Formats: sequence, C-alpha cells, structure tokens
Amino acid sequence: MAPTYLLSFLAFLLTVSPTISTNSEGNALHALRTRLLDPTNVLQSWDPTLVNPCTWFHVTCDSNNHVIRLDLGNSNISGTLGPELGGLKHLQELYKNNIQGEIPEELGKLKNLVSMDLYGNKFEGEIPKSFAKLKSLKFLRLNNNKLTGSIPRELTTLSNLKVFDVSNNDLCGTIPIDGPFSSFPIQSFENNNRLNGPELQGLASYDFGC
Amino acid sequence: MGMIQICPLVLFLSVLGVLTFTHGDTSMDSSCLQRIKSQLVDPEGVLRNWSSGIDICSWNGLTCSEDLTHVVGLNLSGSGLSGIISPEFSCLVSLQILDLSSNYLTGPIPPELGKLQNLKELYLYSNFLSGKISAELGLLKKLQVLRVGNNMLTGEITPHLGNLTDLRVLGLAFSLLNGSIPVEIGNLKSLKILNLQQNSFSGLIPGEISSCLELQVFSAAGNMLEGEIPASIGKLESLEILHLANNTLSGSIPIELGSLSNLKYLNLLGNGLNGKIPVELNQLSMLETLDLSNNKLSGKINILNSRLRNLESLVLSDNFLTGGIPSDLCVSNSNLQKVFLSLNNLSGTFPSELLNCSSLQQLDLSNNGFYGQLPSGLDNLRNLTDLVLNNNSFSGKLPSEIGNMSSLKGLYLFHNSLTGRIPVEIGKLQRLTVLYLYENQLSGSIPRELTNCSSLMEIDLFGNHFTGSIPATIGKLKHLVFLQLRQNDLSGPIPPCLGYCKKLQKLALADNRLSGSLPPTFRFLTELSVVTLYNNSFEGPLPESLFLLKNLSIINFSHNRFSGSIFPLSGSSTLIVLDLTNNSFSGGIPTRLAESKNLTRLRLGHNHLTGTIPSEFGQLIELNFLDLSFNNLTGEVIQELSNCNQLEHLLLNDNRLTGTVPSWLGRFQGLGELDLSSNDFHGTVPAELGSCSKLLKLSLHSNNLSGWIPPEIGNLTCLNVLDLQRNNLTGPIPSTVQQCKKLYELRLSENFLTGMIPSELGKLTELQVILDLSRNQLSGEIPSSLGKLMKLERLNLSFNQLQGEVPPSLGRLTSLQMLNLSNNLLQGQVPSTFSGFPLSSFVGNKDLCGAPLVSCSESVGSERKWLSDNEVAAIIVAIVFTSTVICLVLIYMMLRIWFDWRKVSVSSSDSGGLESNREEMQWFYGEDNEKKNGDYWRVNSLTSVQPQEK
Repeated sequence: MAPTYLLSFLAFLLTVSPTISTNSEGNALHALRTRLLDPTNVLQSWDPTLVNPCTWFHVTCDSNNHVIRLDLGNSNISGTLGPELGGLKHLQELYKNNIQGEIPEELGKLKNLVSMDLYGNKFEGEIPKSFAKLKSLKFLRLNNNKLTGSIPRELTTLSNLKVFDVSNNDLCGTIPIDGPFSSFPIQSFENNNRLNGPELQGLASYDFGC
Repeated sequence: MGMIQICPLVLFLSVLGVLTFTHGDTSMDSSCLQRIKSQLVDPEGVLRNWSSGIDICSWNGLTCSEDLTHVVGLNLSGSGLSGIISPEFSCLVSLQILDLSSNYLTGPIPPELGKLQNLKELYLYSNFLSGKISAELGLLKKLQVLRVGNNMLTGEITPHLGNLTDLRVLGLAFSLLNGSIPVEIGNLKSLKILNLQQNSFSGLIPGEISSCLELQVFSAAGNMLEGEIPASIGKLESLEILHLANNTLSGSIPIELGSLSNLKYLNLLGNGLNGKIPVELNQLSMLETLDLSNNKLSGKINILNSRLRNLESLVLSDNFLTGGIPSDLCVSNSNLQKVFLSLNNLSGTFPSELLNCSSLQQLDLSNNGFYGQLPSGLDNLRNLTDLVLNNNSFSGKLPSEIGNMSSLKGLYLFHNSLTGRIPVEIGKLQRLTVLYLYENQLSGSIPRELTNCSSLMEIDLFGNHFTGSIPATIGKLKHLVFLQLRQNDLSGPIPPCLGYCKKLQKLALADNRLSGSLPPTFRFLTELSVVTLYNNSFEGPLPESLFLLKNLSIINFSHNRFSGSIFPLSGSSTLIVLDLTNNSFSGGIPTRLAESKNLTRLRLGHNHLTGTIPSEFGQLIELNFLDLSFNNLTGEVIQELSNCNQLEHLLLNDNRLTGTVPSWLGRFQGLGELDLSSNDFHGTVPAELGSCSKLLKLSLHSNNLSGWIPPEIGNLTCLNVLDLQRNNLTGPIPSTVQQCKKLYELRLSENFLTGMIPSELGKLTELQVILDLSRNQLSGEIPSSLGKLMKLERLNLSFNQLQGEVPPSLGRLTSLQMLNLSNNLLQGQVPSTFSGFPLSSFVGNKDLCGAPLVSCSESVGSERKWLSDNEVAAIIVAIVFTSTVICLVLIYMMLRIWFDWRKVSVSSSDSGGLESNREEMQWFYGEDNEKKNGDYWRVNSLTSVQPQEK
C-alpha cells in the first residue's frame, strides 16, 4: 500500500511550492499559452520563470514593465481565450488570430485597453457586455467571426470609441444609435443577416430583442 | 514423464540409502540440482556447497523431508543469482516450496514447473522474468501460494489458474500483464490475497470475484480497468483491503461497499467516479484509511467520524465536493491523523468543531473557497505538523495562539487575504521548517522572533506589505535554504549576518526599497545558486569576495544603483542567467564570463561599461539573449560572436560601436530581435539579414548606413517592426517590403531615399503604430493604395517632394490620429474627413485647400479677403432677417393655439378620439414611417463620420 500513500503525499507536496518565479502578468500570459495551439512554436520564448514577460516575443511592455501590447495575429495560433487575460491590467492593445470559443467577459477588466482587435477569428457567443467598462477603448474590431446575439446597448457609453467593426458575423437585433454609434459607417455592420436597423433594412423598430 | 516411472525406484533406493549410507538416494535430486546449478550464475557463491561430496540435505537453500529422502523445499531468495530457471526443476518431484524470489533471473517461467505436482508455494517475484504465465501452472493442483509479480511478464492471465482451487495467495503485481481479469478467478474459493496492481489490465472487474468469499486483500490499482465497481464486491465480508486506485473506473461508488464490515483500507483515488459519497460508507467501523481523491465526486462531505472511529486518514482531495466541513468530520478522542480535502469547491468558515480533533497531524484544506478568520483555538490541534490552508479566502489576523502549536513543521497559508502582523509568538515554533505566507495582505515588520524558529528551511513572504528592515538576527537560521521576501515594502540594508545562513540556496529580495551595499559576508553563502535583488536601491561596488561563490546560476541585480566592476560576479562557471541592466556598473566586460558555458541570458544594458565585446564570448554557444545596450562600448561586432547561433535577442544599441553590420547575422536562424541602433556603424544593410526568417524587430536607426535598402528585406515575413531611420540610405523603397505582411511599425525617415512611394505599401494592412517616410527625397504622387491601411494610427510623409493631390482614399483612414503631409509639393483638395487635423499637418505645400486650410472655392483669386468680408455682412443680414420672421411666425402660432384651446376645451372627448385615430394611422403606415426614419438616420450617420481629432 506504500505507493498509494506516496501518491497522496506527492499531491500534497505539489500544491505547495515556493514562488520563485511569480509574476502575475507573466502567469496570466503563460496560462493563456496553455490554452493555445502553437504549431509553429511562435510562443517558444514565453518562459514563465523570467522576472516579467517583457522580453517575450509578441509581448510589448511599457517602461514600468507592464504588458501593454499582445500581438498574436497571423501566427497560426489557435485555441481559446481564457479569463486570465483579465489580469493584464495595463494592456492597451490586443491582437489575435485563429482563436475560437467565446470572448471571455474578463476582458472587460482591461481598463487601459485602447485597441482590441479580435477580428478574423472563430469567436462564438455574444459580445460581452463587460466591454462597456473599457473606457479607454478607441478601436474595437470584432469583424469576421461567428459572433451571435445583439450588440450590447451598454457599448453606447464608450465615448472614446472611434472605430467599431462587427461586420461578417451572425449578430441579430438592432444597431444602437446613441453615443459613438451615431458616427459608425454602415460598413461596420455589413453581412450580419439577422441584424436589423434603420440603416440596413429600414424596417425594424429600435431595440428589438433577437 | 520419465520421473513418474522412476519415482518408486527412487523411493526404494532412498530407503536403502538410509539403511546403508547416511545420505542415501537423494542422488537423483542431486544430479538434477547440479544441472539446475549449471544454468545459474552465482556471484555470491551461495551454491558453493552444492557438490557431490557433501550431504545434499546440508546444501544451501535445500530442505529435505523428515526422512531425508526427498528435497521438499528450495529457498534461494535474495541470493544474487542470475541466469535462467532451468526446466530441470521439474525433476524435483517432491518439491513443496520453491522460492527463487528477489534475484536477477531472466528468461521465461518454464512450463515444466507444471510437473511439480506436490508444489504448494511458488515464489518467483522480483526477478527479470519475461514471457507469459504458462497454462501448465494450472496443473499445480496443490498450489496455495503463487507469487510471480515484479517481473517483466507479459500477456494475459491464463484462465487455467482458475483450476488452482487451493490457492490462497495470487500475486501478479508490478508486471506488464494485460487483457482482462478472467472470470475463472471466481473459482478460487480459498483465495485470501489477490494482488494485480501496476499492470496493464483492462476491461471490467468481473463480478465473479464475489465468489472468493475468503478474500481479505484485493488490489488492482494502477491498471486500466474500466466500468463500474461491481456491487457484488459488497459480499466479500472478509475483505480488509480494497485498492482500486488509478484505473479508469466510472459510475458511482456502490452503496454495497458499506457491507464490508472488516474493511480497513479503501482506496479509489484517481478514477472517474462520480455521484455522491454513499452515506453507507459510514458503516465501515473498522476503516482506517479512506482515499477517494482525484475523482469527480460531488455533493457534500458526509463522512461521520463519530461512526468511523478507527479512521486515521481521510483523503477526499481533487473532487467537486461542495458545502462546508461537517461538524462531526473529526470528533474528540478520534484517531484521525490526516485530513486532505484540497482542490474541491468547499466553502464556509474554519469549523470550530475541527479544533476538538487533537489527534490531527496533517490538515489540508487548500484550493477551496473557505473564508473568515482563523480561529484562535487553533492551538488545540497540538499534534498538528502541517497546516495547509493556501488558496482560500481566509482573512483577518494570524492568531497569536499559533505559537503554541509546538509540533508544527509546515505552515502553508499563501494566497489568502490575511492581514495584520506576523505574531511574535511564532518564534516558539522550534520545529517549523516551512513558512509560506506569500500573497496575503500581511503588514508590519518581519518579527525578529521569527529567527528563533531554528528549524526553518524555507521562508516565503512574497507579495505582502511588510515594512521595516530584514531582521538583523536572520543569521540565526542556520538551516535556511530558501528565503523569498520579494514584493514588499522592506527598507534598509541587508543585515551582514545573512551571510551566516550558510545553507542558503535561493535568495529573492527583489521589488522592495532595500538599500546599502552588499555585505562582504555574502562570500560565506557558498551554496547560493539563485539570487534576485532587482528593483531595489542597492548601491556601491560589489564585494570582491563574491568571486568565491561558485554555485551561482541565476543572478538578477537589475534596476539598482550598483557601481564598479562586475568582475566579482564572474566567479561561477555555472551561470545561466546574469541580468545587471539599469545599474551604474563601469569598467570592461569580464572575459571570464565566457567560462559559464551554459549562459543563456546575459543582460548588461543601461550601465556605463566601456571597452570592447570580449572575443571569448564566441564560446557562449548556448547564449539566447545578449543585451549590451546603452553602454559606452567601442570597437566592432567581433567575428567570434558568429558562433552564438542560438541568439534570439541581440541588443547592442546605444553604444559607440563601429565597423559594419556583420553579414553573418544572417546565419542566426532563431533571431527575433536585432537592435544595433544609435551606434557608428557604416556600410550597407547586409542583404543576408533577409535570411533571419524569424526576425520580428529590426532596428538599425541612427547609424551611418548607406547604400540601398536590400530587396531581401522582403523575405522577413514575420517582421513587426522595421526601423531604418536616421541613416544615409539612398535609392528607392524596395517594393518587396510588401511581403512583410505583419509589419505594424515602419520607419524609414531621415534618409536620402528617392523615387516613388511604392503603391505596394498599401498591402501592409497590419501597419498600425506608424508609417514614417518623412525627410527623404521621395517624389511622385501619394499612392491611393495607402487608403487601405485601415489600422494606421500615424502617417508621416512630410519633408519630401511628393506632388499631385492627396488621394481621396486616404480620407477613409478612420484610425488615423496623427497625420503629417507638410512640406511637400501637394495640391488640390484635402479629403473632408481630414478637417479635424491641425493646420501644421498640411503647411508648406504647393497648393492645398479645404479644411483646416482655406476652402477650395476661395483659394482661387486674389481678392479673397474682400469678398469674404462682404459675405460675412450678407450672412449677418440673412440671419437677422430669418430670425425676425421665425419670431413673428411663432407669436402668430401661439396666438392661434390659445384661441383653439379656448374653442375645444369643452369637448375633450373629441380630441381624444382624434389622437387614437392618429395612432392607428401610425400602425397602418408604420413601414413607411420607419423607412423615413431610417433614411433620416442614414443621412445623419453618413454626415457625421468625420474624425473630430485635434
């Protein structure tokens, strides 16, 4: 029976190990990496034992060693995004590709995010309402995915939003007209067969569900 | 077969032998044993006395029958024998016990053993036997014990073993057996011990096992058994040990297991069992160990220690259990010593009832959702050696009573929300070896009393708010191996006595406000391997004696104010990482660093280093990251560095390096970042750089590079950043740059580039940070394809000789935040969407017009100003006139309404009918109305597209 006791004890030891390498942003990114399939080993340099992730490729830091830019576009990377990304409190720009699954609502925690480009992926599910918390957001490109549901009304409070593109998805409902939405061109909403709006079909009344 | 015929003869001869010689006719056995011996290698000489001159019954390992006529036992266990088990064993027909266990025997188990019809016990375990378990073993009708485990036996269990109805013990563990457990196992009515663990058995556990009513031990752990646990196991009333861990069993735990009234040990860990823990398990009054960990069990914990009075170990970790800890999980006068409940979804506060459980030695509630304060009565758990509560939400202070837990060895409280100070009473814990309090909200100073815990080996206080200085008595911790105080608010110097913690291997003091210089006592830390001091305010030169530390492998002193030579850190030849960025180190780079052949990261950037890059660095073939940027280095990039072909980052920027950009850089296939900017390099951009296919960032700006930009740059298809600005580059922008599809930053400004802007740049649709072609001699028109750069945020084409109109397509660059087209030869109308950009974006051109410049209609003719004045006057007149008219109309309307109201106020019902009518009309014509709405909206949206940026 000795081997089993040993197993229990090993498990016991595994849960408690010192934190010689802990850096929260690096950990968040490393956790992300475990979700991603990286056939061309683009993320090889992502070594979680380093002091911070600032020397990792596709990661850019500011002068305080906070991650401000994550750039995985066009790298044949696939997989899902996880809630860990919400830990990158200073992230300003996020670029992705070939990712599937839902957009984690934790991305709404990225208070400093200026630019979120998740276009050209395979994202499903709805646009998280939590994006309304991204008060610094200027560019939000979610086009060419498989997003469903309606455009959250809450996004109309994003007063800094300059570019919003949800074209080529499967969104439904109507297009908001308040706040920054008063200035987005019609092209931003194209090719969403179930998306109604005065500017697309001229039929549906404002704020239908779907 | 011959033996059976010979048998009476042997008997006769042996009887004769007793009468005539003292050792009579075991001679048949003797010759057969000699043949067996001949097939064994006997390095220890155990078989030395197996010779014909000696009485066979005194041969080592042999047991003769009482009448000395037969060999009935042979025990050569643990004799260091190798070789094979000879088929000749079959001649020992009287043999009852054969024990060859724990040797180095190889080859198969000979089928001839099946002839030993008198054999009762066969021990062949712990050898290197291979092959299958032969069916002939099923002929051994008298066999009671068969133990052949811990070999390299393969194949399936032969169903013929089912014939061995006298078998009491069947041991087949730790081999390579596969297939399913044969149903014939149920024939073994006398079986008491069945050990099949650590093989590759698959399939179901046969329900027939319930016929083995004598079974006391059943272990099949570590196989690939699947399906449910047969409920019929509950019939095995004699069972004491049931061990099915680490299989792929599924379904729920059968409630029938509650009938196993003699069960002492139940281990089902590492399966896929789901459902609730059956309450029936509480009937197992003899149970000492219960391990159900690493399954998918859900529901509440319903184990009642009040009934399981003999329970010593309770392991339910890594399931989906919910709820709190039941109050009678552990009662007083209990035998419970180990409670492991980690990695569940348990919640609630620390149950005070648990404090009655004074027998408890190890308590692991980690990785759950427990919250609230730690009870002050923790010290009731006076036998506790390990308290593991990490990764919960415990809050409040550490109770001072913790100092009374004199047996405590490990205190794991990390990842909680504990506040307040470490109680000084902790100093009473003389056995404490591990203290992990990291990632809490603890504050105050680190109590000096902590250094009284003389057994401490590991301290991790990372990520709290500790203030004050490191205790000056830290040197008392003679056994300390690991000390991490990272990310606190500690200040003051490193106490010199830290050097007396001579066992210290890892020291992490980074991210504090520590100051002063490193004490010379550091030289005593000869075991030190990892030392990280980054982000503090350490200063002064390093003690020269640090050179004596030969085991250093990871050093990070970055972001301090250390000065002087870095030579003292070059003593170890086992360095893997050396990071000294952002200090004030001066002098040369020690060539001795090249002794550390495993060095992968060398970062000496942002110092005051002088001299040249040592040519010995060519020996650092493992080097992955070389950062010598922001120093005062001189000389050339030496040829020897071309050996470092594992380099991924090469940062030599901001020095005074000279010579040319080496063409051998093209051989660095893993290179991702090359920064040689702000040096004095001359010559051309080598075309060979185009071979660095993984390059992400290429920065050669602010040098004296000349010649053309090589078209091979287009081979860098991964490139994100290309910065060649501030050089003397000539010729055109190569159109091949269009292949660098991932560029998001392109800077070619301040060169002497000529020709047109290649329209292919419009294919770089990832361009985002900047496209800067300013201050060159570019001519021709701005290609309209640049309008495709939808993500571009900054565009600078100023100070060139660009002509023609600004292409209207540029107006669609909605992401643009900075635009500079000034000082060119442009003319015509600025796209209307650019009206938000300042005048300076456009000045110094030939003839541009439109907002923010003057409007195009006015820009022709010289009397513009006079006309404009005239127009202003006209507008004022128009406004005054219009507003007067509107006022008059309004007054008229108000008067009319007032009169109307007076007329209809007596017949409000009429007006109500009218309103509802109007509503009906709206529904009826709803479509039309909406369409109009839409049209209006569309116009609105299109007219307000312009960016309102300043």
